[in-house]
Amino acid sequence: MEYIGEHLLPGQIGHFCVVLSFVAALFSTLSFFLATNQRHTDATDGWRNLGRLGYLVHGVATLGVIASLFYILTGKMYEYQYAWANVSDDLPVQYVFSAFWKEQQGSFLLWSFWHIVLGSVLIFRAGKWETPVLTVIALAETVIASMILGLYFGDFRLGVTPFELLRDTMEAPIFQQADYLAKVKGNGLNPLLQNYWMTIHPPTLFLGFASTIVPFAFAIAGLWLREHKEWLNPALKWALFCGAILGTGILMGGVWAYEALSFAGYWAWDPVENSSLVPWLILVAGIHTNLVAKATGYSIKSTYFFYLGSFLFILYSTYLTRSGILGDSSVHSFTAMGLGFQLQLFIGSFALMAAILYFSRSKGIPTIEQEEKVSSREFWMFMGALVLLLSSLIMTDGTSFPVWNKLSVAMGLDKINIPGDNFLSNFVRTRLSGQLAVANPVQYHNGQQMWIAVLMACFTALAQWLRYNEKNWSIWSKKVGVQMGIAAVLGGILTYLNSRWIHLSSDWRMWVLLFTAMFTIVSNGSYIVTFAKGNIKMAASAVSHLGFGLLLWGIMSTGLNKEWISSNNFAMEGLVEGMEGEMLNKNVLLMRDAAMPIKDNYDATYLKDTLERQTRSFTVNFKKRDENGNYTGENFTLTPNVMYDRQFTKVVASNPSTQHYWNYDIFTHVSSLPKAELDPEFAKQQEDSLKYATYMARVGDTIFTKENYIVVEDITKTPKHPDYKSQKGDLAYGIKMKAYSLEDRRGYALEPMMYLRPEDGAFTLTSTVPQLEIKSKLSDKGMEKVFQTEEALQFSPFVVKRGDEFTFNGFKVRFADISANDVQLNTYLAEEGDVTASASLMVVGPNGAQYAAHPLYLIRGNQPFSLKDEIPKEGLYFSIQKIDPANGTVTIGAAQATEEQRSIPVEIAENAGRSDYIVLEAIIFPGIKLVWIGSILMLIGLAISFWRRSTMKGKLD
Amino acid sequence: MKKSHILAILIVAVAIGFLISASSDVTTYANFEQAAKTGDRVKLVGQLVKEFPVEYDPEKNPNLMAFQLRDDKGQVRRVVLRATKPQDFERSEQIVLTGSMNGDTFEASDMLLKCPSKYKDQEIYIRSEQG
Repeated sequence: MEYIGEHLLPGQIGHFCVVLSFVAALFSTLSFFLATNQRHTDATDGWRNLGRLGYLVHGVATLGVIASLFYILTGKMYEYQYAWANVSDDLPVQYVFSAFWKEQQGSFLLWSFWHIVLGSVLIFRAGKWETPVLTVIALAETVIASMILGLYFGDFRLGVTPFELLRDTMEAPIFQQADYLAKVKGNGLNPLLQNYWMTIHPPTLFLGFASTIVPFAFAIAGLWLREHKEWLNPALKWALFCGAILGTGILMGGVWAYEALSFAGYWAWDPVENSSLVPWLILVAGIHTNLVAKATGYSIKSTYFFYLGSFLFILYSTYLTRSGILGDSSVHSFTAMGLGFQLQLFIGSFALMAAILYFSRSKGIPTIEQEEKVSSREFWMFMGALVLLLSSLIMTDGTSFPVWNKLSVAMGLDKINIPGDNFLSNFVRTRLSGQLAVANPVQYHNGQQMWIAVLMACFTALAQWLRYNEKNWSIWSKKVGVQMGIAAVLGGILTYLNSRWIHLSSDWRMWVLLFTAMFTIVSNGSYIVTFAKGNIKMAASAVSHLGFGLLLWGIMSTGLNKEWISSNNFAMEGLVEGMEGEMLNKNVLLMRDAAMPIKDNYDATYLKDTLERQTRSFTVNFKKRDENGNYTGENFTLTPNVMYDRQFTKVVASNPSTQHYWNYDIFTHVSSLPKAELDPEFAKQQEDSLKYATYMARVGDTIFTKENYIVVEDITKTPKHPDYKSQKGDLAYGIKMKAYSLEDRRGYALEPMMYLRPEDGAFTLTSTVPQLEIKSKLSDKGMEKVFQTEEALQFSPFVVKRGDEFTFNGFKVRFADISANDVQLNTYLAEEGDVTASASLMVVGPNGAQYAAHPLYLIRGNQPFSLKDEIPKEGLYFSIQKIDPANGTVTIGAAQATEEQRSIPVEIAENAGRSDYIVLEAIIFPGIKLVWIGSILMLIGLAISFWRRSTMKGKLD
Repeated sequence: MKKSHILAILIVAVAIGFLISASSDVTTYANFEQAAKTGDRVKLVGQLVKEFPVEYDPEKNPNLMAFQLRDDKGQVRRVVLRATKPQDFERSEQIVLTGSMNGDTFEASDMLLKCPSKYKDQEIYIRSEQG
């Protein structure tokens, strides 16, 4: 079939570029490989140039792939599955980026893009390391390009192309129509991802991911060329760069989770988080042994090991998150795309390459026979690196349970019968069961990593003061001893002071952790001030270690002092069966406009909700009371919101709103809503089941319903409603009423309205009084009446001069004035070039009631118009029919609607139920700023080191 | 013996210590029958039984929900979770719970939902004004 309107060219170009990019990367790999292997011959330059050419072609082709995909996404070409699934006509332009890297193919391209950038820098800067390093990077690029190839070899599919056509990915009757494309519209981007974090977090994280290959490649190059010392310099510089960027990417993920998602925290030990932290930890271990190796010649083997491991764990992380194996252990949902095997091959081949090279060369790696002295810096730095390795291995184990289960079953280990009922056999049995799971990841990882943190804090406090290759320990030890003494004493005092704030309770482990955090803060702080004398270049490592201490402090204050203030034990007590324990009361129900006392003496009041696009925001006010119940003046308003999907069929996200103070945050989000708000289908059913009665409303009337009475105050053509934004061309009317119950003498506003919008249709906006469970709406019968009545009016003309008075239907009307500028008619919308004349009429009714009316005469584009004014209460209408400047007279038209014409039907339902509440979760995070400051200092330390080593004199590249 | 060997042994010992000390947080996947037999805290995978209504009335208690779950053996039990009802709960295709059996009721402390992804429900939205 010949389909109409498809753009096949961008996909074909894109696909051609994918294949070219793959072939060029492969070619580049081989060329760089030969250039390296024949480095002592004349052929090397030729091969190197071919390698560069191949890499250039690969880079250009990959940019071509990226450009084609962007073209398809920005052009909203729904004939492509990628565009159909991820964008829509109404998607703001800035989120096309989010849509681009939301899917696996897009994020592979992002990864590849950064490899190309890094590889290009290395071609220019790496000097003699260029060919071996680029061999590794080009090989990785070959593998990544294969992930998006989408070529079939028999039944085996190599990669998944982003350029698949929608009609090839699914079967639907619609594709039997040649013009199907005109009827298809995009799915759009998940509102959760329409967030600026989603535009900045992935590129940063992927630059971090991508840059781990550089230290890896230098390590391979060092082994390959057997130059075990020379590679350490450039590798260190790149490792520092990578540490700073990858760290920033991970931190951004935490800030995103805390600021914009309803996770209620910044770190949840989720597999996705863990598997990006592990490579960073190993890399940081490598940076430490690299420093040792450069300064002393120790630890070269471990530096190889760590840098090789860091990238391999990046690959493992890619496998975990993209193969679908995490299944039900992660909140991040990843679609398995059948790339599992290819990803396994990726890890396997790189691990094998690294292992073979390492073991075949390990004999030649220089080592120092004599062991490090315990008094030396290198000894404790090496210890620190080992502890970091331990940390990442334990974390990897706890993250890999789904992998172990799969292996266990595949190898038949789950069938082994393990006898005995002692601790060890139970442990082994659980481990091999193939059913292994972590019950509570936060508790599990915190419990283990806490001890790692204690060790790290002690090591960083001590090692900072030690020296490489210590020769005069007997002298130096005094200085270190004094410093450690000061840190211990001050740290102890600070721990005590903090214990009055942080709820350590009687848990000795918490005391130990807090003390070690304070210990390293004091020690490193003292180092920066007294030893480095504030010379930040000298103190980069101390800055990072100080940051680590502050981070620990922040983790403890937020973790232990985190408090759910959204509980109201008193209000909940006795109401609920099975409700026990303070911890369970994390959410509180807030009725609109009713102040609810919640914990810590806050009064929370849910004030209003507003809808904009797909987002419904809830305004909640908090007022704090002191112990005596008086308001302290602390008063703030938060607006958490929920987002509906594009069809308004369900709520897809609940976004928090946070009040920031210097010492703590108050974090809130809407954790539940009335069913009618969550599920518009249910709301419709509920609406349909309501019994509306129709009443005739006339201004001034009182309507008696079954249980209440309602006073009609006004019928207006310029109504107001929270969900209504008036537009030019709208035809609208509304009734303003006040509802009273027989007991409650307070009047509640009840103001339904209706409007016609050209091209959009008619809309009815209901109004409710939740307190009285009244709901009301208007019908188009009323619409007809309000607007048709005017057609049917019979105007009587009165020719008057300024100051004249005439009588109409018992009303005395005085024509007070006519003015060109003083327009008072509120239905009039001014336009450029209008010529206006506004009359002022003073009206006195038979009963003495006084009114004013301001009809308008208007010339717009040479056409005269007469705009009526009305007095709804009396059904009176006035217009200016004619202006005669020669005689100084004006012809006023006057008309009065009949009683029947003035009665507008209004539909009112009682016992409508309440759905004006929200369920709110509110948490206090004390000291959250410490977490951010600490993390940022750690990264700043890395950045300073990188900067210092890049600008230092001497050959580094 | 070299210092580094002592250290290596120490570190391995510490690692094993960690794993053993944390083993109380390690559990296994189980079905209702196994969970009832051992009474242990387990992970349980199942599906919401949609014929029964989900009990959640935030006006009474926003922190309590209950529903019927069918495990992979086909057994149906009542599940109580002390938390708010997640958005989209009724649409979930798989539910992973952490908790233990108490009598005939499974008391869950944690719940994870798997909802159908866009790849699977292959609907095509049609422009209504042109259809």
